Amino acid sequence: MRSMIKFSAVLLLLACALPARADLKVATALEDLASVAQVVGGKHVTAFSLCKGYEDPHFVPAKPSLMRAIRNADVFVSAGLELDSGWLPMVLPGSRNPKIQPGAPGFVDASEGVQVLEKPTGTVSRAEGDVHPLGNPHYYLDPKNLKVVADHLAEVFGRLDPANSGEYAANAKSFNEKMDKSLAAWEKEMEPYKGASVVTFHKNFDYFLSRFGLKLLGTVELKPGIPPTPRHLAETAEAMKKAGTRVVLYQPYQDADACEILAKKAGAVAIEEPSEVGGVPQAGDVFKKFDFIVASLVKALAAK
Amino acid sequence: MVMRRKLCLLASILLFNIGQAGAETQSMISNLANPAIGFVALFRSDVAPKLDRPYGFSFEGAEISLISVVDPYWTLSSNLVFAPDGVDPEEVYATTSQIPGIQLKLGKLRATFGKHGQLHTHAFPFVEAPVIMANTIGEEGFKDAGVEAGWLTPLPWYCELTAGAYQAVGPDADHPLNLGDTSHGNIPYSGHLKNLLDLTDETTVELGGSGLSGMGEDGLHHTAWGADLTFRNIPLRQSNQRGWILQCEYLARGTSGGGLKTTDADGGYASFQYRWSQTWWTGIRGEYARNSTTDILEQDGGLVGQVRKISADVEWLPSEFSLIRAEYSIAGLNPDDGAKRILDQRVLLQMSFTIGFHPPHAY
Repeated sequence: MRSMIKFSAVLLLLACALPARADLKVATALEDLASVAQVVGGKHVTAFSLCKGYEDPHFVPAKPSLMRAIRNADVFVSAGLELDSGWLPMVLPGSRNPKIQPGAPGFVDASEGVQVLEKPTGTVSRAEGDVHPLGNPHYYLDPKNLKVVADHLAEVFGRLDPANSGEYAANAKSFNEKMDKSLAAWEKEMEPYKGASVVTFHKNFDYFLSRFGLKLLGTVELKPGIPPTPRHLAETAEAMKKAGTRVVLYQPYQDADACEILAKKAGAVAIEEPSEVGGVPQAGDVFKKFDFIVASLVKALAAK
Repeated sequence: MVMRRKLCLLASILLFNIGQAGAETQSMISNLANPAIGFVALFRSDVAPKLDRPYGFSFEGAEISLISVVDPYWTLSSNLVFAPDGVDPEEVYATTSQIPGIQLKLGKLRATFGKHGQLHTHAFPFVEAPVIMANTIGEEGFKDAGVEAGWLTPLPWYCELTAGAYQAVGPDADHPLNLGDTSHGNIPYSGHLKNLLDLTDETTVELGGSGLSGMGEDGLHHTAWGADLTFRNIPLRQSNQRGWILQCEYLARGTSGGGLKTTDADGGYASFQYRWSQTWWTGIRGEYARNSTTDILEQDGGLVGQVRKISADVEWLPSEFSLIRAEYSIAGLNPDDGAKRILDQRVLLQMSFTIGFHPPHAY
């Protein structure tokens, strides 16, 4: 009996000495969502993204290994607004994980509550390309929308893990305070360039441009999902010269050659910008991502 | 009696788990009164001098897919095919992912067998299916009413084991395998093992094995079996611009019973497809089939023989929703009865158009 008590006491001590285990395994459709989830969840969450930051989130291959990666996840955070509709409806059921199927407590649509731009009015048709019928889904390029995501995730994590709900709420509050402070600094850096116009490869920078007062002159691709034609590049270059647009932005997974050709025609510069965390090595989290975008854009817009 | 009790117990456990999961199932893809609707139309033009078919443009077929959530436990998917010779409810099945580790599928479905056999016609990598398909499980795979359960094993790589049970069917134009014994003891069954490993973030290897068996109207046991190997590369930074697929598959059909054991037809194919850009693909495929028939051999009196065929194609995809494919094939047909060898050359043009919603194709 005495030895049993001693043995139990030793076990108890060992258990207390063990590192705290993550209580929730959180999988996401985007690195930005994983970054926010990790901050909000703190030591109680292990967050990871199925889509790498240098991968086009529209065209993630629905590999069976992704299904396996989320088979034991407690939470799945979808980007929402049908950004991941090209692969997630295959991956989620394939995971055979009832906890994270749409409608289950562990399924999160991160777009809930964000300010959505470019919600179509009237008829939506693929004559305009591969349009997003629920609005522009790249809302994570607006720092303020990430605050909404943080609060939403804190609420979800708190519901699934009530014991730590206070910590999740505190982490979200801390994240939002840091985001407010950082946003003020970024706005100050971007202030001299308000009203400047840029060209982007795809309409995935609209939230950033709107937040910082920049204008979108046009896109390199002819229409969403339709590659540029020589005529379109020539016309866009002319428009850039007339408007004094000096910058073409593209993501690591887009057609850099077409952007370089356009920039050369227009006497402008083409720069690779991450729209997602991890898009470039320096964009390790959401704050570093915006730091990188603001710094490189300021440099490009300032150049004569 | 003991087996029946065990089956009842297993069914009870499965249904209990479905009930206990208690999770609501919402749809990512549809509104309450409107299922997700997609429509794909295929058009074709064949120039095949040896075939008694007019040259010209033809309607190859169309399929309408309707998918929606039934209730918190089930999703219903359907694929209705409109072909020149009629309408076919090709697939109408319910699925549930509410059982941890298992995906249950029941209804009229396309069996999980092999690689090519799981493709819808509009997703074929070449205009025509490999010759061996129509000589083993069916040109468009094995389609029948049944139930399948796919278990994602806990092994440290993607390893899925699927078992199925189906209704007696065949032989007919769609079902070359004779599983048509209508006695109560005949429940055709299948097994499929799929292994997929990530060699790198961008390249995968998939190795699979399949089997399908049942009793025929002739009182004999009929079986199809196969193995497949696929290497696939999709560069992560250019996932809609570059990539390649190297695939090979072997299929066979056989008969046993009454002291008899034969391989009635076998063969396979190896293909390589390469994506040059967002809008261009090319591919080449070599095939070999034994004791097999083709449309030309059938036309010449229902002959069977050896078939060697090479196909090469170029595809232009102006967007994700349309495709134009030009294909050249040359086949040497050697009838088993010693009749003269036939050289069959064809030039094919195919167009595919998609409207509405279409679920993502399997990887």
